Amino acid sequence: MRSTRTIDISTGLFVLLGFAAILFMVTQITNREFSLTSDSYRLKASFENIGGLKPGAPVSMAGVTVGRVEDITYDMKLLKALVTLRIDGRYNAIPNDSDASIFTAGLLGGQYVALSPGGSEEAFKNGDQVEFVQDAVVLENLISKYLFDSAAKKSEAAPASAPAPAAQE
Amino acid sequence: MTILRELLQSFLTFLERVGLLARFALQLLVITPAGLLRVRPIIEQVYNTGALSLVIIMTCGLFVGMVLGLQGYDLLTRFGSEEYLGTATAISLLRELGPVVTALLFAGRAGTALAAELGLMRATDQIAAMEIMAVDPMRRVVLPRFLGGVIAMPLLVSIFVVVGLFGAQLVGVEFFGVDSGSFWSQMRSSVELSDVREGLIKGVVFGIACSLIAVYEGYNALPTAEGVGRATTRTVVISAVVTLILDYILTALML
Amino acid sequence: MPLSNHNGELLYNQSGPAGASAPAAQSPSIAVLRDVHYAVDSGKQVFTGLDLEIRRGAVTAIMGPSGTGKTTLLKLITGQVLADRGQVLVDGLDVAKLRRKELYALRRRMGMLFQNGALLTDLDVFENVAFPLREHTRLPERLIRTIVLTKLHAVGLRGAAALSPQQLSGGMSRRVALARAIAMDPDILIYDEPFAGLDPISMGMVLRLIRSLNDALGITSIVVTHDVREISQISDSSFIISEGKVVASGTTAELRDHPSPIVHQFVEGLADGPVSFHYPAPEYHEQLLGGHSFA
Repeated sequence: MRSTRTIDISTGLFVLLGFAAILFMVTQITNREFSLTSDSYRLKASFENIGGLKPGAPVSMAGVTVGRVEDITYDMKLLKALVTLRIDGRYNAIPNDSDASIFTAGLLGGQYVALSPGGSEEAFKNGDQVEFVQDAVVLENLISKYLFDSAAKKSEAAPASAPAPAAQE
Repeated sequence: MTILRELLQSFLTFLERVGLLARFALQLLVITPAGLLRVRPIIEQVYNTGALSLVIIMTCGLFVGMVLGLQGYDLLTRFGSEEYLGTATAISLLRELGPVVTALLFAGRAGTALAAELGLMRATDQIAAMEIMAVDPMRRVVLPRFLGGVIAMPLLVSIFVVVGLFGAQLVGVEFFGVDSGSFWSQMRSSVELSDVREGLIKGVVFGIACSLIAVYEGYNALPTAEGVGRATTRTVVISAVVTLILDYILTALML
Repeated sequence: MPLSNHNGELLYNQSGPAGASAPAAQSPSIAVLRDVHYAVDSGKQVFTGLDLEIRRGAVTAIMGPSGTGKTTLLKLITGQVLADRGQVLVDGLDVAKLRRKELYALRRRMGMLFQNGALLTDLDVFENVAFPLREHTRLPERLIRTIVLTKLHAVGLRGAAALSPQQLSGGMSRRVALARAIAMDPDILIYDEPFAGLDPISMGMVLRLIRSLNDALGITSIVVTHDVREISQISDSSFIISEGKVVASGTTAELRDHPSPIVHQFVEGLADGPVSFHYPAPEYHEQLLGGHSFA
């Protein structure tokens, strides 16, 4: 039977190694760039259509993640989707006339909220509502819009081209 | 007709075994709070199951990581996405390979050791002697071994994952020339804390399952030489099956 | 029995099971088995109406052909198994009716020597003997040391205190187990095949110890064995069990003159008799020659 001292030292080493590994996993390989500190504040935005936006999706400005979508509910009074955004406390000078749009990352990626800065001198405060919003682009609407537009263009072009040659003669 | 009868019999025996195991687990649960105070035996068992398994865990972790590096690189080049190698290996190790492979190795090395020790104590009347001396063998020999295994497993899983990552990096960066910076930074941006959490939770759950099965089989082994042998075999087989079933359940729950 | 140091001062009082501070009237028998029936899980009937009484303060031998359940009898006395029918009384208490705590309290008054010693392999000799003291008492370290060394001295192994069980011979480990069994000064000492596999010298040592401990400590000793010649040197009375019942009881001399053929075969060690030499088999000639016999 090994001496108790050897056992204790080896066990201590093992436990230390294990905890070091856990620490490594937690700090070195997860995204540390954005950790929601208690220093964050909330903004609200109402959309007609949020598309595929999910809670936890990033909120970015100029491509830099400044916050996360915290919660999405349906407001029965406004009859719109109410999205709660949690912004990191470091970014506390966002002009309060900035607009929020829902974009898609890449071609088929997840959706996120992009804030475009406005020109106001005042900044958003905790609980403020973002007034200017742009809904998510839904593929089906896009297609039907395209079809409708092209059909409208065709019917405009047909009667317009008919009288012109007649006038010339 | 007799086939049906036999099937029914085996099913009933299976239920009986599950019931006995559940009762055993409950007994352990009841004596755990008081048992945590006897630190010395627990430390010895953490050494027995954890520290002594380090070599096999780290070796296998290294090679699993290296294989992941190889396979991952080959697969990702087909889509032109080699820089995702770090992400791919990290997530596979953290969520699946880390906990599952470690559990299987644990069952093979530590689980059989626990079963054999307890089985041998049973076969040489040491457990009966304790009962005669009015000492509860569950408190004295079974509980420390169980707790030692439960503590050691998540630590082993973590070590396995980290060593595996370095193995993958070895293959990807050194052999295939994937950029070291993008290997780690892509990993950082895509791996979530929830992935780490998932791996650790699985580690704890598998640790409880495998340790429980090992001490149960050893404690209830038939007091003969064959009995001890059968106990160790059953430990590995049952631990493996239960681990994989639990893996599916936990993955479905956490996804 | 109270534990006392060398000056005779009481160190602590072992209280008996709940409800009894000390046996009020000491009956002559410390253990009584009445009409005990017991069958193992596979269905084999081990005991079919066993009656036996162990006299207090005596060395009693329990003997019988192999497989008659002598070890099971010990398990009935210690409460490790419960009889299907009948009563098992130890010092007036029905073993079957005791709750866990009471059973453990009763067991503390018994010491048992197992066939292969059953020393705990992760402790050395000293710690093995100290084990019951550490588990059940709060005696200071100094005192434990004194008691352990005393017990080891009684079995002649005080010098082996630092050895580990793996380093002991069969006879030595059995003697250490004996020291452990008497560590708490029990009232009853039970020996399960104490002579099995020992050389004549070790056997002599164990024999001497059983008798001298019994008389010096004023306890009762129950010895399960089939070494008739050895145990007859020291036993006060013996029981022979065969086919689930007691077939003979009495002193060594009474058994030697017993009329029953199976007792005679057992005591004299005869190869053939009621316990047949040949395992039941078909007719010899028929099996060898396939039905044809040379008349």
